[in-house]
Amino acid sequence: MATDTSPDQGKRLPWAGKQVRPEHIEDELTFLWHLAADNMRISQNMNVRTSVLNLVICALDIASAYKASALLRDLPNTHIARVTLVILDTDNKSPSGVTTWVTLRSFPIISDNMRHHFEQVTVLLRGAAVQSATTIIQPLLKPDLPIYLWWVSDLPSNTSIFQRLITISNRAIVDSSEFSLPEERMHTLSSVLQASPNCALSDLNWSRIIPWRELVAQFFDIGEYRPYMVNIEKIEIEHAVPSSKHQAGGEKAASNPIRALLLAAWLKTRLGWQLSEENPQHDHESRAGRYFWHMTTRVPTSALVEALPAGNSLGEVGSETRGVIDIMIGPRVQAELPPGNICLIRLTSAFDGKKAVFTIDRGDDDEHVITSVDVPDNPYLERVVNVAATHKETELLNDELEIMGHDHLYEQTLHEVSDLLT
Amino acid sequence: MPQRSVVEAPNPFREGIRTKESLEPCVMVIFGATGDLTHRKLLPALYNLALEHPLPAGFSVVAFARRPYDDETFRKQALESINEYSRQKPVNPQVWESFASGIRYLQSDFHDPAGYEKLSSLLNKLDQERGTNGNRLFYLSTPPSQYPEIIQHLGAAGLNRNRKGWTRIIIEKPFGHDLPSARELNRQVGKVFKEEQIYRIDHYLGKETVQNILVFRLANGIFEPIWNRRYVDSVQITVAENLGIEGRSSYYEEAGAIRDMVQNHMLQLLTLVTMEPPIAFDANAVRDEKVKVLHALQHLSGRDVLTNTVRAQYGPGWVGGHEVPGYLQEPGVSPNSTTETYVALKTFIDNWRWADVPFYLRTGKHLPKRVSEVAIQFKQAPLMLFKKSDAQGQVEPNVLTLRIQPDEGISLEFGAKVPGTDMQIRSVNMDFFYGSSFVREQPEAYERLLLDTMHGDSTLFTRRDEVEAAWAFVQGILDEWKNEPRDTIATYESGTWGPQAADEFIWRDGRRWRRP
Repeated sequence: MATDTSPDQGKRLPWAGKQVRPEHIEDELTFLWHLAADNMRISQNMNVRTSVLNLVICALDIASAYKASALLRDLPNTHIARVTLVILDTDNKSPSGVTTWVTLRSFPIISDNMRHHFEQVTVLLRGAAVQSATTIIQPLLKPDLPIYLWWVSDLPSNTSIFQRLITISNRAIVDSSEFSLPEERMHTLSSVLQASPNCALSDLNWSRIIPWRELVAQFFDIGEYRPYMVNIEKIEIEHAVPSSKHQAGGEKAASNPIRALLLAAWLKTRLGWQLSEENPQHDHESRAGRYFWHMTTRVPTSALVEALPAGNSLGEVGSETRGVIDIMIGPRVQAELPPGNICLIRLTSAFDGKKAVFTIDRGDDDEHVITSVDVPDNPYLERVVNVAATHKETELLNDELEIMGHDHLYEQTLHEVSDLLT
Repeated sequence: MPQRSVVEAPNPFREGIRTKESLEPCVMVIFGATGDLTHRKLLPALYNLALEHPLPAGFSVVAFARRPYDDETFRKQALESINEYSRQKPVNPQVWESFASGIRYLQSDFHDPAGYEKLSSLLNKLDQERGTNGNRLFYLSTPPSQYPEIIQHLGAAGLNRNRKGWTRIIIEKPFGHDLPSARELNRQVGKVFKEEQIYRIDHYLGKETVQNILVFRLANGIFEPIWNRRYVDSVQITVAENLGIEGRSSYYEEAGAIRDMVQNHMLQLLTLVTMEPPIAFDANAVRDEKVKVLHALQHLSGRDVLTNTVRAQYGPGWVGGHEVPGYLQEPGVSPNSTTETYVALKTFIDNWRWADVPFYLRTGKHLPKRVSEVAIQFKQAPLMLFKKSDAQGQVEPNVLTLRIQPDEGISLEFGAKVPGTDMQIRSVNMDFFYGSSFVREQPEAYERLLLDTMHGDSTLFTRRDEVEAAWAFVQGILDEWKNEPRDTIATYESGTWGPQAADEFIWRDGRRWRRP
């Protein structure tokens, strides 16, 4: 395959630095480091060069690549050694070609006198070169450092490029809030993960629901409420959808219920539930973002069972007749919230003839939730909790870049979502 | 009641979540709630805990103080304090409203038994209204002279324990004025509360970098093998303040640098740097090892005190661009005061690991800058290959510096060849800065310590025997100083690193003080 790599080919990307031939990338970066060292001597600044990870960013268009590149400004503490920003121009009409740019980027640390630098290599692939993205970027990676792949925007229908990139990565990060066809893409993601078990997978949407998971966990940190956890009868989850007049048309789904699906799947696995075989009528209205499952208890919650003394069982605690337990996901029209945001989790339980309701409800704005516990014979407890910290994409990304290994809980939950949607 | 096994079993929803388990609802009673510590530290810390939501719904605060306030007046003042001192600004109105709904004010003198009866009723009422279930935390934020009275009244009112929940008490430093008074205070507290209910707080231990000393030492295989007398030449611990006594003459005249800093903060740092690895990272295992270090400290007495310590007072000078008076010219300070504002001392730890390694401690007020650090100086390489070259005299010993504040972090100083044809060696630093390596804002020390108390984790608090062992070391110095004439106290110019006598003191050992 003949590929045009001449420097005057392709687009002009001033933000990507100096355009160079691919074979000159390393030389040009060395030259830039010398310039940086000279600047340090002249201005008495201190430059810090760190070598912790390779970050490969994959974007499907220049606008997304520019946005991702700009976001790196807010990642001053991740100690990236090199960013390889790959733009896949999948327009079939484009002639095959590879165009590359290099630059050094820096963040002030503590004060402007000390700066942390990393290298950024931008690679625009066109035409047939797109399919060889993995081969083309491999020589550009810093040796011995883990490779984090950040796939910005939606997953394509044909995931072959994504799958090949995963094979060379230690960790792949996606954002399922960008998925245009949520259910289909979650199945795809689950399949990709099964096919590439060596690469850890994470999803920024999973990180977005951490505060909600934490608040659910907090309810049952209190020993007195623990029996209600074992006897949950109903789970209701609501996610934000735009009002009908704000809904965009086209192929994109009207809602993106993935956060709600992840929460439902997480609760199901944590509580050791299974889909009911006696009541198999599950109800899905995908376009509306409405789902309903009947469940039964498969086994007592595993962690609880392990902690119980021999001969004891949760049956004694949850010995009341356990009928079908329900999980319901529904939309809530909340125009001021980004679609997909969680608006409500309500857990209804009964123990010892008493009904208890544990609720986390979105407040009047995007930044607060109200948690409440309504247990008979106990005071009704309510508090306002700030969840604003979960919004920034760069903070979510930074958290993901701190993790090296597999997030087994997420991966288990992803497969569970896929199963629930089947 | 639910079965015990279910209640105590791990919470399955906790897996994969980094934050600690949440607390059972509880009520914190602050004695001396209108004081400086409450407004500068405690209330902002509690608000931050509410904002970052480890505090449970139902968490309540009872402010116990003498001033004639009501709930609303106190809440208003609390909000002003949080607005001024919280690390999270501006105050989030919704979280504040939720938090403030649990604040109550109780006006009473500390010596009035009726006040404790009212407190008991209020706590029972909160148990009903806010589900605090008998979980109570008492915080003594009063002058130490009032501790015995408050503790005695708590016991008399039956508030030292209850059947439903847990009861704990936090006592602020200083824990006594000397060894006998510390023992007496411990005896009085121990008559009312069991040792496991008592949390003696030294906010230094709540600092992330102090806690990191143990992680640095015990989680990194490359340092532990060299952390002993074979490789360490000496250790310097510096706690320098650029401030003077800031109007606190009545307190400082009674305390002085050795009581204010050495007996608590500096000996805590020393124990963390030198203790043996504990058998587990739990409260008693860690504190057992710290106490062993304190027992192994070579106690100074008699003439040894004079040869191994330097005490001094700051004279007039310039600090931070401002002209400042000398200590004896400060309002409220006696012109004949013998209170030291600077102390330097050398001690040894008589155990297998640290035999013959000198530990130099110095602390002072009106020094050039505020800095706390532990510097471990390693022995020189066994053979100086470069002595005939230009390198002679330029090779400094390797120093590992643990910076506690400011710019928390760790530096390693080592020699490197200067690029060029000749053999020149320069010392260079390899730095790790907390602030540039971790995105997360560090919690205030009080946030961590309050949360630990509510969780019942006393690892970062000082145990009775630890306090007494630290006082026992300091007592010998205090006794000898008391017998010495006033002219043995040196004077140093404010804004300098201490008196000439302190430099001479360390030069005698062929070493010099670091310039942090």
